[in-house]
Amino acid sequence: MNAMTPTLAPVQRIRHVVKGVVIEGDGPEYGRDPNRFVTPPLDVGALVWPRPAPSPAADVPVDEIIDILVETGEVLKRDRSGLLAQAMERSVEAGFYPRDLVERSFAHLGHMFSRPAMEFMIAQEIGGKDLLDGWREVTTPSGRPARVRAFPCRLLHVIAGNSPGVAANTVIRGALTKGVHLLKLPSNELFSAPAILAALAEAAPGHPLTRCFSAAYWRGGDEAVEGLLFRPQYFDKIIAWGGESTIRGALKYVGPGLELVAFDPKTSISLIGREIFESEATLEAAAVAGAHDATIMNQEACTASRFQFVEGALDQVDRYCERLQAHLGAGGRSASAEPRPIPRALRDEIDGLRDMADFYRVWGGYEGRGLVVRSDEAVDFYPEGKVVNVVAVDRLADAARHVTVATQTVGVHPPERKSGLRDILASAGAQRIVSLGSATPEVGLPHDGFYPLHRFVRWVNDEG
Amino acid sequence: MSTRSELVDGAVHEDVFDRPWPDIEARQLEAARELFVERRDQIPVLRRRADDSGVTEIRTLDDLVPLLFAHTAYKSYPPSFVAQGRWDRLLQWMQTLSVAKVTDVDVEGVTDVDDWMERLRAAGHMVLATSGSGGKVSFLNHTREDAEKKRRHYRRMSGWPFVKADNSRVVFLTSPSRGPNSAIEAAQNSAAVWARPGEAHFLTDEPLRLADISASAALNQRMAEGTATPAEIEAAQAEARARGERMSAAMDVFVDKILAHRHEPIVVSALWAQHMSIIERARARGIPDGGFHPDSLVSAGGGLKGVALPADYREQVDRFYGKVIRNNAYGMTEMAQTCPKCQCGRYHRPPGLIWLLLDRDGERRLTADDGVDGVVEGRFAFLDLLYEGRWGGLISGDKVTIDFKDCPCGRPGPTILDTISRYAQAGESDHIGCAGTIDAYIRGAVAA
Repeated sequence: MNAMTPTLAPVQRIRHVVKGVVIEGDGPEYGRDPNRFVTPPLDVGALVWPRPAPSPAADVPVDEIIDILVETGEVLKRDRSGLLAQAMERSVEAGFYPRDLVERSFAHLGHMFSRPAMEFMIAQEIGGKDLLDGWREVTTPSGRPARVRAFPCRLLHVIAGNSPGVAANTVIRGALTKGVHLLKLPSNELFSAPAILAALAEAAPGHPLTRCFSAAYWRGGDEAVEGLLFRPQYFDKIIAWGGESTIRGALKYVGPGLELVAFDPKTSISLIGREIFESEATLEAAAVAGAHDATIMNQEACTASRFQFVEGALDQVDRYCERLQAHLGAGGRSASAEPRPIPRALRDEIDGLRDMADFYRVWGGYEGRGLVVRSDEAVDFYPEGKVVNVVAVDRLADAARHVTVATQTVGVHPPERKSGLRDILASAGAQRIVSLGSATPEVGLPHDGFYPLHRFVRWVNDEG
Repeated sequence: MSTRSELVDGAVHEDVFDRPWPDIEARQLEAARELFVERRDQIPVLRRRADDSGVTEIRTLDDLVPLLFAHTAYKSYPPSFVAQGRWDRLLQWMQTLSVAKVTDVDVEGVTDVDDWMERLRAAGHMVLATSGSGGKVSFLNHTREDAEKKRRHYRRMSGWPFVKADNSRVVFLTSPSRGPNSAIEAAQNSAAVWARPGEAHFLTDEPLRLADISASAALNQRMAEGTATPAEIEAAQAEARARGERMSAAMDVFVDKILAHRHEPIVVSALWAQHMSIIERARARGIPDGGFHPDSLVSAGGGLKGVALPADYREQVDRFYGKVIRNNAYGMTEMAQTCPKCQCGRYHRPPGLIWLLLDRDGERRLTADDGVDGVVEGRFAFLDLLYEGRWGGLISGDKVTIDFKDCPCGRPGPTILDTISRYAQAGESDHIGCAGTIDAYIRGAVAA
């Protein structure tokens, strides 16, 4: 390749959605080759809903909303307009994931709009549809009558782009809670949210619910935009996903009247008991489950395990490592078998360890088919790209000192060990304890220590 | 005399960059071949690399590519070795990257990492530490002779091509005067070649202690684990504040001295942020821009990570010192033979330094044919032929453009253009993911 005149990848054209209307056009250009893209000119004024007017969907019964969402899922599955397929192709071209993983993620989107899932979410997270549709009567112990409602909010969502499912979940949660929602698109997933909102518009043309959603890209942290938008007169809450810079960026604007709901950056780990060495079959089963949890969204997800603490003698732990490495590259529903070379900086770190055979052992190469580093304490770099650090421990409880408030999911194996560990883990900061192999999240349960729907609304009371 | 020492010693010649070095590429290759034969069996990490990549001899410069170390190799030790004082194990680690035997250094009774370094140095292993981003420092071994040759190289290159270092000046260096750190070594070299006796002024004589860096790393670790107490954090903050105040007071004295000598040819070397701090104090004293002697040497450098500077800081520094000599060189901690900058603003290659320009991924060597008209962009790597104490082959994170033709200044040989930048790290764009580490949750209490 000619270094002075690199071949330029085509510039991607991004769609915005403003209150249900798809906007196209060539405005500012962002990104670096090969991920350059052009967005429509940004009309900041069009992205806010004037505060005196209630949310367009405020008085739409939640059952009607569920019907529309279920139909939205069907639209996505059928994709007659081809918009989702197009979004998928663009996502493939952007190149953050191999094609098969993008295809499976997009194919799954329609199935996320599931009626039983939405019913379960409302029951679990809100406590009943009546709270969304109106005022629930209660009486306090002093005898005071009161009425409580889960009231729609104005939310600005800074969503994560490491899975298109984040956009779908945001639309589902946002619709069920009836507020108005501006989605700030992440530069690593610019296509799914506009496509999902287009499907919503197709499922319910002209419906007030569609007017509740906008999606746009601006450079994260751009003060010219965020200084205008991140204000209590326009939004009640910023729902921020992920990385430190996002959360810190949002924090600048948080104050009275503008709340931060943070899906903080998280790491996930696994704790694996000595029982796995009982037989070849139990060892194999643990390695398969451990590999599954480590490779969720090719290990880009916060639920993906990066450190696995294994109880046993070093030679036993090494046997686990060998098998784990063999399965890490296998692929599956939430991982691709297509190898992607490990990032250079990480390779450099691991290279340093290879030379210290007394303290570390490494299985696998840098081509992206899975790599395991075994050590007697956790490495001080961040494993990604199907890289797992297996730490040998005497007792699983010893691993609790590696659990912090940044620890999201802890996969435990065998599952019987969970009850003996979960209080220690929760106390240290862990938010989710699962049986190893089940780290893929489901909706309707707490996420990062809270019920999302519960925080997407404002709880208002009418007393006396 | 070996080809290698001939090339390294070439840097002492007055006209090192002015005359063509016949067959320089062939001689560099021959020197690399010699060096590899010698080091392969001396440095365990190099031997493993060679075995893994199947390189048995250096036939072309391409054979060097898999043998280049990343800078992280020099900090690949488990942090617990320092935290738990396992000094003998840290020696074992050091051995994997060293030529001479280091495992016989007596570490009995070593109390902290500075003590450990002291023992190594006393035994002739002139280990240097880096500044340690994130609290983990690299340890780079070299011999006493390496250190002397490095200083010799510095003497020749430092004022090139404008003035010669002749121990005639008053010198101002914004670093501590003592400490086992690579930046301090550079400042000491500057003092040694430029300063007249008794006229090397450092910002402070308070020695830099690695134990302070590792203590702050350990505190960060305890904060992550949730075991650090508020009292500990408060104490660390108070200490950082006190250090900041001492440095601020030292800077006041330092600036007064600089200003007192500004009408004579002096040497001032500082990081950009420190220059800004000097300017701020000078302004407070009513000193106008541009009053420095035109033969003064002013160098500036350093990254801007975590430092808030006005957008025009370079212009401000330029204006303040006015028309002085801006000497500059391209180098890094791991490199002994730096590349000085000519009048045309290009960096020249000393004969004992093999430049390797690689593709972005650091896997393929690029040559003049990979660019237009012999100008090629890529990742910078090198083999420094000077070192006796360790392997001098390193791959950097720098994006450089090399012009393989002669320099517009008229001197022969390839040059690096003044456009050096870093290859972007992952996560620098606003790609947002939900995965992250505890680091985001810990406020650097001891970041001073």
